[in-house]
Amino acid sequence: MSTDDAFFSVNGVSYAYADGTEVLSAIDWHIPAGAFHCLVGRSGCGKTTLLKLAAGLLQPTKGQVQIEGHMVHGPSPKVGFVFQTPALLEWLPVIDNVLLPISLHRRVLADDRETARGLLDLVGIADLAGRYPGQLSGGQQSRAALARALVASPPALLMDEPFAALDAITREELQDDLLRLVSLRQTTVLFVTHDIAEAVYLGDRVAVMDRGRIALAASVELPRPRNTNSRYDQQFTAQCQHIRAAMARPVAEAA
Amino acid sequence: MRRHIPSVILLLVLLVGWEAIVRLAGVSSLVVPAPSAVFVVLWDGLVTGFLWQHIWITGAETLLGFALGCVIGFICGVVLGEIEPLRRLLWPYVLATQVVPKLALGPIFIIWFGFGMTSTVVITALICFFPLLENTMTGLQAATPEKRDLFRMLGARRWQTLLRLKIPSGLPVIMAGVRVAIVLALVGAVVGEFIGSSKGLGASIIAAQGMMDSTLMFALFIVITAMGLLFYQITLVFERWLLRGWLKGKVS
Ligand SMILES: Nc1ncnc2c1ncn2[C@@H]1O[C@H](COP(=O)(O)OP(=O)(O)O)[C@@H](O)[C@H]1O
Ligand SMILES: [Mg+2]
Repeated sequence: MSTDDAFFSVNGVSYAYADGTEVLSAIDWHIPAGAFHCLVGRSGCGKTTLLKLAAGLLQPTKGQVQIEGHMVHGPSPKVGFVFQTPALLEWLPVIDNVLLPISLHRRVLADDRETARGLLDLVGIADLAGRYPGQLSGGQQSRAALARALVASPPALLMDEPFAALDAITREELQDDLLRLVSLRQTTVLFVTHDIAEAVYLGDRVAVMDRGRIALAASVELPRPRNTNSRYDQQFTAQCQHIRAAMARPVAEAA
Repeated sequence: MRRHIPSVILLLVLLVGWEAIVRLAGVSSLVVPAPSAVFVVLWDGLVTGFLWQHIWITGAETLLGFALGCVIGFICGVVLGEIEPLRRLLWPYVLATQVVPKLALGPIFIIWFGFGMTSTVVITALICFFPLLENTMTGLQAATPEKRDLFRMLGARRWQTLLRLKIPSGLPVIMAGVRVAIVLALVGAVVGEFIGSSKGLGASIIAAQGMMDSTLMFALFIVITAMGLLFYQITLVFERWLLRGWLKGKVS
């Protein structure tokens, strides 16, 4: 893959937190515009850190991150972030939470409300627009957070285990909603998860991370659109096994 | 309402018992007045308007001191909470002034502001200042790191993060400080009047003590207690309204 048409380019990035231990070492990763990439790995291997570097929330200690060929110095308006917890503001009704990315920058117009309602409809919680976050279930909160990330139509989304806390059925529904929304808008996505099946189901490409390095990167050869049947496909299972094997291997061997 | 019935019955039983003991044992009204006598004095005071002028003054001192102390405490809390170097510089002094018994400053305030309402308001404000300062500083740290990152991702400016994330996140903690402050404010105003005023409920207690009028003192206690409960309830209603978003979430 050429690095010119990449939306995200991560070039030789290393990162150490203030205590000095290197959490990421020499990561190279490129995500073409419109692609859906997944990053799997055990907890503590550095996934969130890499996501924050891509977002511009952290600055690499070595190497550089580029968005559409420009160096990233701080958070970019082109990138939406979905956190591990829904991170909704408890004092605002759902609709105002969804409109936050807009209301921070300008007056909210009737059109914006339309957009927000449309998104809430797409994630299946249109009837809950007036409720407060504390009145929603975990799955409904995740849906609201997804709608908020999409309301300003960012060309790219960074997602940090957004569905990890949900039950299996709700998670599958949200995965399908997500795929529908991002293919509609041609959004570039980097999706972090610790669930191999989730990564394979969602991604065009899956990277396995182990102790701060990319241990394996594989393209997922499954036709789109994917649906519940894809999950029980032989090819799907084979892909999962392949990645599972890479995760089990010690890093020295994988390199 | 129903769950209060046992409490009301207990109150009536206690009052009747008190009345009976005072009458049967012939306790001097100088030591413990009978509830009926206290009620008569209270009623007279309210009807003649004698009590109202004092209620009005103490109420005004309490609310003025409370408002001043809360506003200044909140603003200082925001400034110290937001400006790290300033916080490091001033924190030892904040702690030191916090342990100074504020009422002990009464005499010096009388020299500065004169005998009367101003001294009492200043003492009351000073007493309300600290719970607001401390709770505001604590409350501003309440927003989770993820929400801070969210605001950074959304390109929020510093004042937007303050107004739209940190202050609302800290509101439950800040309001807890307000609740503490309203109770302290009334105590501050009454005790402030002991030393620095000739009008108000606190000053009336001192005057009643001078006349050895225990019955009037008891009537004044009742008025002060009623005022305290009223102020506290009003604060509570305001808090519920302000935090309706949070509270709605808690209803299961
Ligand atoms: N703020 C921090 N300061 C110091 N070390 C951190 C900090 N955040 C994370 N780490 C460390 O960095 C490593 C990677 O963390 P993280 O990127 O959160 O992993 P993951 O998201 O894959 O679970 C972990 O070993 C963690 O202990
Ligand atoms: Mg993580």
